[in-house]
Amino acid sequence: MSNKIITMVRKELIDAARDKRSVMAGLYYAVGAPLLMCGMFFMLIGQLTSPEDLNIKINNPQGAPDLIKYLSSKGITQGDADKNKDILLVVSDDYASNMAKGISADVTLIADASNEKLQKSIRRLEKNLQQYSSEMGSLRLIARGIDPRVMQPIKLNVEDQATPDSKAGMILGLATMTMIYAVFISGMNLAIDTSAGERERNSLALLLSHPVSTGQIVIAKIISVTLFGMIGLLLTLIVSKFAYSFVPWQELGFSVSVNSSFIGMMMLVGLPVAIMAACLQLFVSFMAKSFKEAQSYLTIVLMLPMMLAMAASYDIAPDTLQWLPVSGQLQALIEFIKGRELPGMQLAISSLITLAISALLAFGMQKSLKSEKIVFGL
Amino acid sequence: MHHGMYSPLRARVYPTLTCRKKVALAVVIWAAILLPTVHAQPLTLSAPTAIISTDTRCYVDGLSEQMNCGSISVPEDHDQPEGKHIQVHYVVMPAIKSSGKSEALLAIAGGPGQSAIENAKGFDQMLAKVRQTHDVILIDQRGTGQSNPLQCVGDGFESPLAINESDFDAGEESQKCLDELDADVTQYDSLSALRDFEAVRQHLGYQKLHLYGVSYGTRMAQLYMRHYPEHIATVTLDGVVPMQQSVLAIGDAIARAFDLLIQDCSNNTLCHNQFPQLAAELDKMDSELAQAPKISMIADPRTGEATQLTMTRSKFNGALRMALYSPSVRALIPHTIHQASQGNFQPITGLYAMSMDGAGIAMGMHASVVCAEDWQRLTPQLRASANQHYFGREMLKTFEQSCAVWNMPAVDSSFSQAIASDIPTLILSGELDPATPPSWGEMAMEKLTNAKHFVAPYATHGVAYQSCGNNLIAELVEKGAVTDIDGECLNKDISRNFYLNASTVEAIPRDTDTKQAKTALNQ
Amino acid sequence: MIQVTNLSKRIGDVQALDDLSFSALDGQITGLLGPNGAGKTTCLRTVFGLLKPDNGFAEIDGINIAKSPVAAKQQLGLFPDPFGLYERLTPREYISYFAELNGLSRSDAKHATSSVIEKLHLADIADRQCKGFSQGQRMKTALAQAIVHQPTNIVLDEPTRGLDVMSTRVLRDILRDLKNQGHCVLFSSHVMQEVAALCDQVIVMAEGKVVAVGSPDALCQQTGKNSLEDAFIQLIGTDEGIAA
Repeated sequence: MSNKIITMVRKELIDAARDKRSVMAGLYYAVGAPLLMCGMFFMLIGQLTSPEDLNIKINNPQGAPDLIKYLSSKGITQGDADKNKDILLVVSDDYASNMAKGISADVTLIADASNEKLQKSIRRLEKNLQQYSSEMGSLRLIARGIDPRVMQPIKLNVEDQATPDSKAGMILGLATMTMIYAVFISGMNLAIDTSAGERERNSLALLLSHPVSTGQIVIAKIISVTLFGMIGLLLTLIVSKFAYSFVPWQELGFSVSVNSSFIGMMMLVGLPVAIMAACLQLFVSFMAKSFKEAQSYLTIVLMLPMMLAMAASYDIAPDTLQWLPVSGQLQALIEFIKGRELPGMQLAISSLITLAISALLAFGMQKSLKSEKIVFGL
Repeated sequence: MHHGMYSPLRARVYPTLTCRKKVALAVVIWAAILLPTVHAQPLTLSAPTAIISTDTRCYVDGLSEQMNCGSISVPEDHDQPEGKHIQVHYVVMPAIKSSGKSEALLAIAGGPGQSAIENAKGFDQMLAKVRQTHDVILIDQRGTGQSNPLQCVGDGFESPLAINESDFDAGEESQKCLDELDADVTQYDSLSALRDFEAVRQHLGYQKLHLYGVSYGTRMAQLYMRHYPEHIATVTLDGVVPMQQSVLAIGDAIARAFDLLIQDCSNNTLCHNQFPQLAAELDKMDSELAQAPKISMIADPRTGEATQLTMTRSKFNGALRMALYSPSVRALIPHTIHQASQGNFQPITGLYAMSMDGAGIAMGMHASVVCAEDWQRLTPQLRASANQHYFGREMLKTFEQSCAVWNMPAVDSSFSQAIASDIPTLILSGELDPATPPSWGEMAMEKLTNAKHFVAPYATHGVAYQSCGNNLIAELVEKGAVTDIDGECLNKDISRNFYLNASTVEAIPRDTDTKQAKTALNQ
Repeated sequence: MIQVTNLSKRIGDVQALDDLSFSALDGQITGLLGPNGAGKTTCLRTVFGLLKPDNGFAEIDGINIAKSPVAAKQQLGLFPDPFGLYERLTPREYISYFAELNGLSRSDAKHATSSVIEKLHLADIADRQCKGFSQGQRMKTALAQAIVHQPTNIVLDEPTRGLDVMSTRVLRDILRDLKNQGHCVLFSSHVMQEVAALCDQVIVMAEGKVVAVGSPDALCQQTGKNSLEDAFIQLIGTDEGIAA
C-alpha cells in the first residue's frame, strides 16, 4: 500500500527534477527573492543612515553667529543656493538683543511639512535647535544660581522589553513573508505539471488504469509537491542566511539573523503551510482543463495566501487572522524571531486549521479523480 | 579632595566633589596583610579563583534596552583564595549584530572610584558604533558601584553650601570612614582589580578584548596591556595617565587649563571686551577668599529656600575647575569670575551646585588607589612642583593626612615604568583638558611601537565624548590597526562662544555698535 | 478472461454503450472492431473501471472491476491510445514504475523490466529519456509497460495506429507470443487487415452494441462475403467510418 505511494513519489520527484521549468521556478525564487529583499534593505539602510550634510537656506545668519556655528558643527550648513533644500531658517533681527535680555529669541523655520522627503531634514534641524536651546537654558539657570535639574521634575525610566531582534518588526515580517511564500512558488510548477499536465499528456488515465487507488495517487502527489515546496523553502532559508548576513542591519539598530534554530522553526511551521499549498495548487490544477489554464487560475489563487501573509506582516486585523493558515503561522514566526514566547496555542490551532483545509482539498481531489469529467476532461 | 580625574561620563551633570566630608578617608591600622606582591611578574596574575555568577536580563540607569547583567565572586585578597569573597558586577551591552562572540570591548571608567555601570548611558551613546558589531562590557571595578563599594558617606552635617571646608580634618574623616568599611582597603588597588577584570573576561568567554579607558581607566587599560597582552586586540586611551606619571601632578594640568581659558577669552574680541580684567579678577577673588570665606544668604540652588552660603576658596576654585571639564559649561566661566568679583555669587553657586553631590566617586576606593600608586611615589621634585599651585597644595595636604590613615603598601617601582607594547593603541588628548594634558599623552607613547596620539584642539577631558573620537575608536576596533586612522576630524571646531552675560553668547547689541559687533563676530 | 455483461453507458446525449455483452478468452486474441464512435474506447475504459457503467458490469478473471478495482486491475495490462509516456523518464524507469505499481517489489520490478526490455529489443533506447522517441519506440515502450507484470489479460486500444509496417509486424509477433503463452489479448481496432491477420475472435460493434461475434472466417461465411471488410460493411449496414 505505502510502497506504491513511495514509488509514485519517487517517480514524481525524478520527473520533476528533470523538468527544468519546475526546478527553475523554485530555484529562481529561492535565490532571487532573498537577494531582491537584500537589495531593497541595502537601499533602505543607505537612505536612513547616511547623515549627509544638510544644506539649508538661512536668512540673517550674521544675527546669530554662535547658533550658526553650532548648527554647522552638527552638519547643518548654509550651502550653495542651488543645492539648498527647501528649508529656510530665518533669524529674527532682534535675535541678539532678545537673547541678551533673557527673552526668547525668534528663529523661524519655513518648509513644506507635507513634503515627505523634507520631513527627515526638518526633524533633524528641529532636534538640533531644541538641543541648542535647552543647553543654553541650563546654562542660563546655572548663571542665575539655580540647579538646572529642577527643570526636570520627572525622570522617566523606560524599560523596553524588546530585544534587539524584536525591533526589526516590519522588516522581519516582510522577510519572513517572502520565505514562507517560497512553499507556494517552489511547488507550483510541479503541482500543475503533475495534475493538469499529466492529464494533458494522457498519462493520467494510464495511471488510473493501474491497480492504485485514487487516494494513493492524491497522497503521492501531495507529498511530492510538498517536498518540492519544502526544498524551495530550505533553499530560500539558506540563501537568506548568507545574503542577510551581508546587510548592515546594525546601522538600523537591530539585527536580523537567520540562524539554525530559526531555520528549524521555519521548516517545522512551514510544513503544514506547504501541505496546504500543495493541496490547493493540485486541486485548482485538476479543476483546470489545461496546463495554461491552471497557470492562470493559480496566479489568481496565490493572491490569497499573499494577502494573508501581507496582512500578518503589516499587522492588519491580527485578531481574526491569527487563526488562519499562512497569516497564523507568520504571526507566530514573527513572535519567535522577536525572541518572545512562541504562541503555541495560536500556532497549533492555525496549523490544525491549515491541515484541515488541506484534508478537505485532498478529499475533494480524491473524489474528482473518480469523476469521468475530471479524468477525461469530458 | 580636588583631584579626581573624572571622566565626563555623565553627559551634562558633570561630576565633582568639593565637599570635604565626602573625602573622609580612613586608615588601616592592622595593615599587616600586605598586598600580594604585584611586581613585574605578569603571568603570576593568573586565573583567579572562584567563579559563581548569575547572568540575567536587566536594565541600567538611563537606557531602556535590555542588558545582560551578572557578577562573579572573587577573593578580596587574590592570594588568599579561601578567604573572604566579594562580588564583582558587570554588564554586557550586547552587540546589535554580533560578529561572533570572540571579541568584545571593555570600557573602563575613571575616578578612580567611578562606577562603569552607573555611567552605562554615556558609554552606550559614545560607543554606539562599536556596539553595532561588538559587545561592550562594563565592570564595576572592586570598591565602586555595586562591587563592594568603599563609600565614605560621612554624617552629612549641615548644608554643603554652608560648610567651611578648612574646618575638616582629612585624617580624622578618613579614620571614621575606614572604621565603617567592611573591607580590607589595601586590596582595592588597580592590580587587584585587574585580576578581577581578567576573571570576568574568562568568565564571559571572550578571546580578546578591545580596551577603552578614560581618565583613570587608562591606567587600568595600560596595566591590562602590561599583564595580559595576549588577550588584548586594541587599546584606546582617552585622557591618559601614563604609568610614569603620578596623578598628584594634576595640579599643573589644572593651572594650565585655567591659563588656557584666560588666554582664550583675551583672544576673543567679544569676551575680551566684556571681561577685560579677567585674570586680575580671578587673582583678586582667589586672594580675597584665601584670607577669609565670604558668607551671605542665598536661595538654595535646588530648594529655593534661604540658606547660608559660605564661599570659600575651595568652593570657588573647585567649582571653576569642574566647569573646565565640559566644553559647554566652560563658556560660562569668564562671566562667573567677573560676577563674583562684583560680589554676585549666583553663577559660581550655580556651578558649585552642579557638583555638590559628587560624581558617584567611591572615595574609599579612590584613596586605596591614590595612596598605593601615586602618593607613594611622590618625589621631592614633584612635591615642590605641586606646591606651586593652589590645587596641588590642597591635594598634598589632604592625601598626606588620609594616606597616613589608609596606610596602603606601596606599589613596586616597576609599576611606574612606561608600557612597552606593540598592541595597536590609540591615544586621545584634549588640548583644553584640565586633568590629563596632551603632554601626558606624549609620555604614554614612549615605548608604544604601534600607537598614534591625536590631540583634539577643542576638547577637554574625555575626547571621545566631545568629538569624532568615538568614530576613531570604532574604526580601530573594526580594523584592528591604528595605521589608517586619521585624526583630521578632531580639528572640527566644536567650541562655543563665551557667555557675555547670564543670558547670551551672541554679541550684545548696544545702540551704536551693532556694526562693531558684527566685525567682531567675523574674526 | 474478460467478460462484459449488459454494459450500458450514456455520455452526454450519446448512448455510447447499449447493453453490451461479450467475453474475451484466455489463449485467444479478441478484436473489438467498429467504426469511429462505435463505443470501443468507452467499452475498454469501462473494462478498466475508469468509466462507471449505467448498467451491467465487467469482470476480469471473474473479478468485478467496479467492486474490487485494485484486484481486477492487477490482472490487466493496458496499452493505451495515446501512449501516455512520461517524456522525462527513460523506458527502464517508466516500465519499472508501472511494474511496481502493479505490486512487484523494487527488485522484482527491475528484473521484470530487464527481461521485457530484452524481449521487445528495447535495450538500445532503454536508458534514454522518452522525449524524441519515434512512434515505434513509443509503441514498444508502452507495450512493455502493459506486459511487464505479466497480467493474464492485455488490452490494447488502437495499437497499430500511427505505426509503420515494421513496427506493426513486431507488434503482431508479440501479440501472437502472448496468445501462445495463454494470455487473453483484447484489442480495439478499425483496421480490417489487423483484425483479419491476428484475431481468433472478432466482436463487431456499432452504436454501442455487439453486431456480430465470431472468427474472421466465420464472419465472412455468415455474411457470405470474401473479405472481412465486406463482411464488416454488411454487418454494420453502412460504410461510414471505415478505414482501409
